[in-house]
Amino acid sequence: MKKQTKWCIFSGLIAGLANGFFGGGGGMLLVPLLTGRCKLDQRTAFATSVAIILPLCALSSVIYFFRDGLDLLRALPYLIGGLIGGFIGGKVFQKMNMVWLRRAFALLILYGGVKALFF
Amino acid sequence: MWGFLTAVAAGAATGILSGFGVGGGTLLLIYITSLTDLSQRMAQGINLLYFLPTAATALPTHIKNGYVEKSTAIAAILAGLAGTAIAAFIATGLDVSILHRCFGAFLIFVGINELFRKTPPEETKAKR
Repeated sequence: MKKQTKWCIFSGLIAGLANGFFGGGGGMLLVPLLTGRCKLDQRTAFATSVAIILPLCALSSVIYFFRDGLDLLRALPYLIGGLIGGFIGGKVFQKMNMVWLRRAFALLILYGGVKALFF
Repeated sequence: MWGFLTAVAAGAATGILSGFGVGGGTLLLIYITSLTDLSQRMAQGINLLYFLPTAATALPTHIKNGYVEKSTAIAAILAGLAGTAIAAFIATGLDVSILHRCFGAFLIFVGINELFRKTPPEETKAKR
């Protein structure tokens, strides 16, 4: 097996573990692995990670639904919003400069982490 | 009604990021767990569901533009399905407060990683 294929499998596994355990965040781990280890360029890595995570979310949401009783009614508004945002995101993807965006949201995430861990 | 609309807005804002392929779900999780009364686990379940329509609307455009590397995706998906099934079983059996702490640690790890990661040189036309 090629070394790069092994890295693809490893990246998928890591993304899957995060996806199932945290209910998200797989892409945050996946994109650096895809660019660094699987030698994809930045934009391809972002788009490919969407393709990878979609089936993972489908499987884990089914598991969450049957083991924890997901409240579909409370989920509905987020789904509607996500539908709109995802469509826009896909359209403007090619024109987007990602560096400033990433910095800003790294800080947001750190804020969320400190809050969840200590408060 | 107001709660419904703010939830739609939050979903749309983070959905743009999710459409790019990164971070939208993580931000939505932070939003739901810190600003609503939903539990960590319910937030995670909602976030998983939320990614389905979000990714489904973004993905056709990505594929059409030639940005999806198919052989990489297939290998990663197969391994990922195994990983996600195991982890989802563990997470749905765990105490919610432990889950919340783990999530916090995960965010700090990811945030630091994201802040200091070097950006690889961008290929201007990545069409293949």
